Amino acid sequence: MSSELTILALYGLWVILVILAQVLAAAGQVGLPALAGPRDDMPPLTGTAGRLDRAQKNSVVALALFAPAVLLVEARGLSSASTLLAAQLFLAARVLYVVVYVIGTPWLRTLLWVAGALATAWLYLLAI
Amino acid sequence: MTPELTALALAGILQAVQLTVFAVPANRELGPDWTAGPRDTPHRPLSPVTGRLQRAMNNHFEGLILFTLAVTVVTLSGKAGAFTAACGWVYLGARILYVPAYALGLAPWRSVIWAAGFFATLAMLVAALL
Repeated sequence: MSSELTILALYGLWVILVILAQVLAAAGQVGLPALAGPRDDMPPLTGTAGRLDRAQKNSVVALALFAPAVLLVEARGLSSASTLLAAQLFLAARVLYVVVYVIGTPWLRTLLWVAGALATAWLYLLAI
Repeated sequence: MTPELTALALAGILQAVQLTVFAVPANRELGPDWTAGPRDTPHRPLSPVTGRLQRAMNNHFEGLILFTLAVTVVTLSGKAGAFTAACGWVYLGARILYVPAYALGLAPWRSVIWAAGFFATLAMLVAALL
C-alpha cells in the first residue's frame, strides 16, 4: 500500500476516533437515553461536546475532499515526494485541528484548517 | 465487481432512496415555495417523522464518506477478502435497517444498528492497514 493511501486510511481511523469521542461527550451531556432516542427535541450541545461535534462535522467534510485527491494521485500513478509531503501535512494539520478545537485556541485552529485546506488543494494541483 | 464495490454501489443507491423518502414529505410539509426558493428564512418545524428521516439521511452522508474511503483503500491495496466482503454486507444491512429504526424511534436499537455499520467500516480500515 502506497504511503498516501496509508495516510488516507489513518485519517479515516482518526475521524472514526473523533466520532467516538463526540458520541461519548454527547452521552455525558444529554445522557445515553436521549442519544439513543429519536432526538426529536435534542438540546444543542455545548462546551466540549459542542466543540467535538463541530470539529467532527468539519473533519468529515475535509475527508470527503481529501479522499478524491489521494485516489487521483493513486490511480494516475503520480505519487512523488511532493504528494507524500502534502498528504503528511494534511494529516498533521487535521489531527492538530481537532485537538486545538477542543482546547479552544482561537486563530491557531483557523490556521490549522487553512493548512489542511492548502495541503488538499496542493494535492489536487499535483494530481492534474 | 468485488462484493465490497457492490455493497458501495448499493449504499449509494440507498442514499438516493433516503433523499427521496425525506424530500417528498418535506416538500409536502414546507411547500414548494420555500423548498424551491433561496431558503433565506428558517423553515417551520418538520413533523417528527420527517425530522427523523432528515437526521437519518444526514447521518448516512457521514457514514457513506467513511465507507467509501474504507472500500477504496481495501480495494486499491489488494487487501480485499472474505472478511472485508462480510464487513461490506454488514454495513449495507445496518444502514438499510437504520432508516426504519430511526423513523419508528426504536431505542436503543437505532444506536445498536448504527454501531454495527460504524464498526464494520472501522474493521475494514484496520484490515487494510494490517
